[in-house]
Amino acid sequence: MNNIEQNAYSYLRTTKKFPNIWCSGCSIGIVMGALIRAIDRMGLDKNEVALVSGIGCTGRMPVYLDFNTMHTTHGRALAFATGLKLAKPELKVIVIMGDGDALAIGGNHFIHAARRNIDLTAIVLNNEIYGMTGGQYSPTTPLEMRATTAPYGHIEPPFPICELAIAAGATYVARSTVYHAVELDKYIEQAIRKVGFSLVEAVGYCHTTFGRLNKMGSAVEMMRHLKNVSISLSAAEKLTPEERSSKIVRGVLRDIEKPDYSTLYEQVIERAKASVTGKEFLRAGPGGLE
Amino acid sequence: MSESTLKQTASEKKPTHPSTRKPRGKVVIFANWCKGCRLCVEFCPTDVLAFGPNEFPYVANPDNCTACHWCDTHCPDLAIIVKPIEDESQG
Repeated sequence: MNNIEQNAYSYLRTTKKFPNIWCSGCSIGIVMGALIRAIDRMGLDKNEVALVSGIGCTGRMPVYLDFNTMHTTHGRALAFATGLKLAKPELKVIVIMGDGDALAIGGNHFIHAARRNIDLTAIVLNNEIYGMTGGQYSPTTPLEMRATTAPYGHIEPPFPICELAIAAGATYVARSTVYHAVELDKYIEQAIRKVGFSLVEAVGYCHTTFGRLNKMGSAVEMMRHLKNVSISLSAAEKLTPEERSSKIVRGVLRDIEKPDYSTLYEQVIERAKASVTGKEFLRAGPGGLE
Repeated sequence: MSESTLKQTASEKKPTHPSTRKPRGKVVIFANWCKGCRLCVEFCPTDVLAFGPNEFPYVANPDNCTACHWCDTHCPDLAIIVKPIEDESQG
């Protein structure tokens, strides 16, 4: 850990207004710290990394980080990042989204980016509510929890983010909480190294809206709650499905090898170049010209 | 191994008294960036940090620090740095 903390400050735009905009004790700052540590440990240059975000509290993160950054429209961070990755495949493109941004507004982009298996690192910060707009329920708000738009308890089941990404075809899927910040930066590092669509779900909290509406206390109490309800993957395997449903399971849920979109796209370009004309290539069919 | 010998080895492995133990880290807080969220004070395992009268944390017991890095990895405002102190006796 020597000097990592001190080096981390070189990745910040200290000319921007610090302290940051987030509420006192907000979990987004912890994820930002984990991301900086992961990039610092990999020894990546600032110019090698592109950070893309959408709208929301989490969308403010690229404002403070000194990489190639893009602050895009609501839910479309993955769509912008796909274009960026295709234009500049040498960049390490990291997409940081909130739960509402990734799964409600950008739900289709999320499943199709995973299906295409494009080499992006998606970090979804799941705080189970729309924090910035005043606490409306999001696709990951758990059953029976309160939100300003569900004052008598939420009646919809939540989206399981990791399971959705696995089903859609992501190559690396991991989940951790902000209480386990060191584990979180380890997963983010593995996700950046992985070639293919990789997802890290960072389970955070929003004590300002979710905590207040559900009487869960301050940031300290919500952090304690995360510590108590989260268990590792090996411990979860010993539990019955009913017991597991109330827990947050931490760990690497999927890690497979699959050719990513950029590699396949390059092969298509080579195949097209090898053919004399495009028409000939099309006539040859899917097997190519050989 | 019998139970008594197990207990003995456990007691031998206990760290020395806190007052004679050297600190392994130096905690630095940037007061300008801190918002006083209490996370570092509540979760510090060795009570290095405490809350001051102005509702902001300060380093109360610097000698207790074991450089576990809980506070600087979990500070949401990146307002804490723990500088590890190298132990000269261990080379």
